[in-house]
Amino acid sequence: MVELSIAIAAPSCGRMLAYFGAEVIRLESQQHPDVVRLIGSAWARTPELAPVFTDTSPYLPEMNANKRSVGLNLKAPAALAAAKRLIATADIFLTNYSTPAVTDLGLGEATLRAEFPGLIYVSLPAFGSDRAMPYYEYISWGPNQAPLVGLDELSGFPDQEPAGVASFAAPDYFAGLHAFTAVLTALEHRDRTGQGSAVDLSQFEVTVSALGPLLLDQQLSGTVATRSGNRVTWYAPQGVYPCRGEDRWVAISVKDDAQWTALVGLLGDADLTGDFDLADLADLAGRHRHHDRLDEAISAWTKGRSAEEAAARLQHAGVAAYPTNDTEAMLVDPQLREYGWYQTRPTLRFPQGDLFGGCAMHLSDTPGRWDRAAPSAGEHTIAALSERAGLTQTEINALLDAGVAFTPPTPEVVLKRPYDHVLGPLGLRKVGS
Amino acid sequence: MSDAAASDPTASDTGAASSQPWSGLRIVERSGLCSAYATRQWAALGAEVVVLEPPEGHPYRQLAPFAPGTSAPEGSLWWAFLGQNKRSVVVEAEGDDERRLLAAADVVLGEPPPGQTLAGPAHDAQVVVSISPFGARGPRANWQGSDLVAWASAGLTYVTGFPDRPPVSLAAVNFAAHVTAMHAMGAAMVALRVRRRTGRGQNIDISMQQANAALHPEVGVPLVLDDGVHRGRSGNRRAISRPFGLYPCLDGFVSIVIVQPAHWANMAGWIQEVTDMEAVTDPAFSDLAVRWEAAEFIDSLTEQLTLGATKHDLFVEGQRRNIPVTPVNTVADLATDPHLEAARFWQPGTHPVVGEHRFPGDLFRGDSSWWHWTRAPLLGEHTDDVLSRWIS
Repeated sequence: MVELSIAIAAPSCGRMLAYFGAEVIRLESQQHPDVVRLIGSAWARTPELAPVFTDTSPYLPEMNANKRSVGLNLKAPAALAAAKRLIATADIFLTNYSTPAVTDLGLGEATLRAEFPGLIYVSLPAFGSDRAMPYYEYISWGPNQAPLVGLDELSGFPDQEPAGVASFAAPDYFAGLHAFTAVLTALEHRDRTGQGSAVDLSQFEVTVSALGPLLLDQQLSGTVATRSGNRVTWYAPQGVYPCRGEDRWVAISVKDDAQWTALVGLLGDADLTGDFDLADLADLAGRHRHHDRLDEAISAWTKGRSAEEAAARLQHAGVAAYPTNDTEAMLVDPQLREYGWYQTRPTLRFPQGDLFGGCAMHLSDTPGRWDRAAPSAGEHTIAALSERAGLTQTEINALLDAGVAFTPPTPEVVLKRPYDHVLGPLGLRKVGS
Repeated sequence: MSDAAASDPTASDTGAASSQPWSGLRIVERSGLCSAYATRQWAALGAEVVVLEPPEGHPYRQLAPFAPGTSAPEGSLWWAFLGQNKRSVVVEAEGDDERRLLAAADVVLGEPPPGQTLAGPAHDAQVVVSISPFGARGPRANWQGSDLVAWASAGLTYVTGFPDRPPVSLAAVNFAAHVTAMHAMGAAMVALRVRRRTGRGQNIDISMQQANAALHPEVGVPLVLDDGVHRGRSGNRRAISRPFGLYPCLDGFVSIVIVQPAHWANMAGWIQEVTDMEAVTDPAFSDLAVRWEAAEFIDSLTEQLTLGATKHDLFVEGQRRNIPVTPVNTVADLATDPHLEAARFWQPGTHPVVGEHRFPGDLFRGDSSWWHWTRAPLLGEHTDDVLSRWIS
């Protein structure tokens, strides 16, 4: 697979394919590096590390583990020709560049599919690839999408402005997952028919689709859904409740009458039965009527306990609950540790291993894996152009000499993360595994 | 197993007569919340998805909202949407018919009670996907889950919301369930590719926690260990730069996200035109870190701009100026969005209980007619049909 990608949506799709054994080659540019490279790392903002800065972002392996990187400045005709020789041997071309941008580069769908009829061409721009559509030329960054698709309006408490899904670009990952299944569908189609295909996936449309039931409700009843904190009509009580310590919380869902009875047993007289008529709370409707007061009673119980203790006691009683993990808690979460979610693999700049999170798809007989963290930009330029594109060393040297292909600067400079010393004690150091 | 009628796993011409990519594939979905979003798509792409429902119906049939004047089991709009393209079968739990149907499936997806597992493959070529809150193994494998609990356990809830209020989630949308469903379908599709080569199926273990932890990198462990900065909630503007997040306008909010210097130049020019504030065009502000240091100043000027117009006008004018501006849309806004209209995002539907409506259709477009949409089934509508075709 050849990937011309930026940020999250397409890279997250490519990373999953790489996990299951696909050879994923990223085309990377010196003039327009992926924004993830530009972010770099705080500690690498020094003059001496300037040449390797774009290899230091901790996001890189999160999006690009196990990929190969070919450095080509595609605006040069010779580099474009080399890229096309790579694409000629590929099953899949994946891009989330805007359609005008990828077309200007000469890598638009019509061009590539005319030249390579068996190719599966997958594009996932923000607003689709049809120039007749109103927003065809519109631009959006990941964080623009959650508001646009309706998620932000649905986030937060009803008495406040939208909280926004602001800390991470949920629609980007969601689009990447759809692209992953679209690629597998296109491969199935090719296996059956021998034909390539084009997949045009609009990030906008994909995430709006997830609101299907609410969109139907608006049409049929005129109801405009809005934010409801953490409440849902089908479970009550449900919420995120304060625990002992600063900014510590436990999420609780009482999913049925049996879980309600278990909660009553756990909270006991002190917190619940004194103020309440339990008969009035026996069903979901009653618990919704008194949800505010129930929240107070549950909070009175959770406040005196750590989030871990509250969750463990609730789960022991059969009630769905979990500490509201912060990032630090994710590192030591017992379930994520059980599955080896956080892992290190070596890379050119971090030969002792760089850290990244896992993949949730666990196949019993053919499990996926990543052998390497993220590549340096241009790390595989020579190897891939030789092995995959069939260029001679002379041809490759000509591209390098002309400055239209590149390899990593100062490959001898290797780095260590500032936290390397904690990885061993945490059981996360597995060099070369 | 003698009554296994699953399609030949290594055949290359399965359903060749059909234009749909997954025609001929037989899937049994056992009732649950965390696969329905994806199997709706799989069925629209040609797979035959049989939902084994309990006598009272699938859990999604019980969820509000309902179409006006209707109730469970047929009126839920969750079911009307997520049940699309599927076949509904009601048979005795653990009876002979259920056993035969399971044996005839290429893929079985299900959500066993936490701590239990689905029965293994009924035949060598079967792919079995078990979905659980926290995975099939580990000290909390038997813990109960929910959409809210999944986001909390995946680190997403903690960073969503305002710092002075409790964290929030998208539980009312069942977003965590849908993310999980996409992982379940993706993994099953990978296993089917393996099966094409080997003829053998396998077991797949999917957890809601991990599926949603895949959305965590922007506040993730590698980042936080690397820069040592704790990530908390920052409300609806991200603590990276400015403008970066939601800004109030006359009829709601817009989202403005400025990362690229060129976008800032356009934004600064717009602010200057509206506010007559020359200082905003100072070249120093082209550095996003400097704009973060001057967040209050930049936010104040941005709000002066946004509070003078509607979200629609800001969207159109901002995009005209090549600035990433989007409106904070409600479902009512989306219902009249001109792009969705032009893109034929909506498809007409009819349902004997829900009535006439239009629904979000094809998830992506290809060069051939891969998608085919039918209404959600009535409870048990296909029991006889599926039993007679699948069990000979």
